[in-house]
Amino acid sequence: MKYLVSIANQTVEVEVDGDRVVIDGVAHAAELRPVAGTPIQNLLLDGASWIIPVEPAGRGRWVLQRWGERFEAEVLDERTHHIQSLVGAGKAQTGPAALKAPMPGLVVRVLVEPGSTVAAGQGVAVLEAMKMENELKAAGPGVVDAIHAKPGQAVEKGAVLVSFRPVA
Amino acid sequence: MNVTRVLVANRGEIALRIIRACHDEGLEAVAVYSDADRSSPYVRAADAAVWIGPSPAAQSYLVVDRILEAAAQSGAQAIHPGFGFLSERAHFAKAVEAAGLVFVGPPATAIQAMGDKTEARRRMQAAGVPVVPGAMAALDDPAVAAELAAGLGYPVLVKAAAGGGGKGMRVVRAAEDLAGALVSAASEAQKAFGDPAVYLEKFIERPRHVEIQVLADAHRTIHLGERECSIQRRHQKLLEEAPSVAVDPALRERMGAAAVAAAAAVGYRSAGTCEFLLSADGSFYFLEMNTRIQVEHPVTELVYGVDLVREQLRIARGLPMTVAPGPLAPRGWAIECRITSEDPANGFLPSTGRITHLRAPAGPGVRWDSGVDTGDEVTLYYDSMLAKLIVHGATRTDAIARMERALHELVVVGVATNQAFHLRLLADPAFRAGDIDIQFLERRADLVDRPAPPDLVRRLAAAAALAEHERRQRQKPAVTGDGNGASAWLAQGRREGLR
Repeated sequence: MKYLVSIANQTVEVEVDGDRVVIDGVAHAAELRPVAGTPIQNLLLDGASWIIPVEPAGRGRWVLQRWGERFEAEVLDERTHHIQSLVGAGKAQTGPAALKAPMPGLVVRVLVEPGSTVAAGQGVAVLEAMKMENELKAAGPGVVDAIHAKPGQAVEKGAVLVSFRPVA
Repeated sequence: MNVTRVLVANRGEIALRIIRACHDEGLEAVAVYSDADRSSPYVRAADAAVWIGPSPAAQSYLVVDRILEAAAQSGAQAIHPGFGFLSERAHFAKAVEAAGLVFVGPPATAIQAMGDKTEARRRMQAAGVPVVPGAMAALDDPAVAAELAAGLGYPVLVKAAAGGGGKGMRVVRAAEDLAGALVSAASEAQKAFGDPAVYLEKFIERPRHVEIQVLADAHRTIHLGERECSIQRRHQKLLEEAPSVAVDPALRERMGAAAVAAAAAVGYRSAGTCEFLLSADGSFYFLEMNTRIQVEHPVTELVYGVDLVREQLRIARGLPMTVAPGPLAPRGWAIECRITSEDPANGFLPSTGRITHLRAPAGPGVRWDSGVDTGDEVTLYYDSMLAKLIVHGATRTDAIARMERALHELVVVGVATNQAFHLRLLADPAFRAGDIDIQFLERRADLVDRPAPPDLVRRLAAAAALAEHERRQRQKPAVTGDGNGASAWLAQGRREGLR
């Protein structure tokens, strides 16, 4: 069975074939064995032993960890991947990405006003979490379209704080 | 007073550390907890536990009256404040004494003298302890601040007068950035310490952060050598070691004598730490004294063979310290890595969630001081430090190898941690050569956040594909290989029936 794995901003082709996997065209002996009573998997890949926490995160989605770093993976079989790429093909990108809260926290300050132009990397808002103030920066250039949060407001992870439109 | 029961006015890792010390001393320990901490390991480790309020610290761990009520209710005769929270609030130490209880720490007067950083500078200068050139007066007027900063010469450092731990601190490299830094530092200081006062000092480029551990009982004030804490990010220490590669016995004695003089100048008792900036030429400047036990105290404990928290408990009870008089020297090398629930791949932003699994490192020379366990929720209410991993080795090289081994053993699942960062740091040639200063991580963004190497991504992709494949196999009704669509169970039954 051939899978396409989206992980760390790339897509890796993995064919699972009995006790071996073919990763991007290269065959390896592979076995995944759960460590009982834990979310840990022991991967033997060409005899090398790796401890990898693997947790399910919904249909085809997995969260893997390596020495504390978390990696979200989406695993699609070849057919589903093909269909999705056809459906997604017509979608055009619309404007600069909105600034979302990367974690739950408290909005301390919003550093921009509607209509102001921001450059990539410019501070847009300050979010407090775990006693530290974290300055959130614009991913790219844009014009502030709307501000969706005000100082003192508690926000959830993923909440849109500021939306942008393209620089005219 | 005869102390048999100690209330620990703190939470998490340090609360558990103090509870253990109480038990080692034959004392009972009382935990206090907020709503968020009801299920924390330290609550279970204590002999008694008292609820003190809702999750926000301002409504629980920072409320003096709730702590005192908890002490009265549980029959504790002494209170250990740990670090953070109320530990360096002189009014808390005073209130504890006024309630007829023993404060496990220095006298309120010493906390007060060192707590006001501008006042502390004046006192230290008077005691002959070298200090960083700076503006002694707290600043309210931006125009005055600009004038003072120009006098010192940029870069300057804006610091919270009531501060510590990097909160309310800003480096300002150009005059036009000063006003903004004053506002944001004051706002952070107000939030962290309830006091917006900030002051200015000359920013010394590329110094090491070297601090001296002090211990004082009613008869003697001694020092237990240095800790090097130069590995910091945004003024938060991430890795500490003892001793320091930059300190030889002669410098240790000079810095130690300065720290002892600083402590003596304020009538210090208990464990405390004098922080210094150490420049490459061996000159050092007093930064501040932390009038409490420090996060990184275990590295000193390992190289000096002293249990600092037990000594605090003894000294608070009027007993002499157990450290024998005479010359002391560090034995071997100790390193501590702070394990925080921060995601280095995401700008070190805090990572929250449930710890679904935790496997702590063990084995020779490894100490694991943790506040969390499997099943615990990591919330945004408190500090992001989950645990401290501390190792001891014969040499620095040996300690580094042991720390790498221990970090490889550690598994935390459910929240992101900074483990991979520590591994990159320990493998770095400059770090291994001891070529570090407090701006090291500022220059080395490559250590802070590095994209996952391609072989790791391929390995993880294989694991994800195998996990997904396995899940699909389990969900699918099992099919025998003969293509008839008969159940595997039936096939197995048939095979067994034939036996």
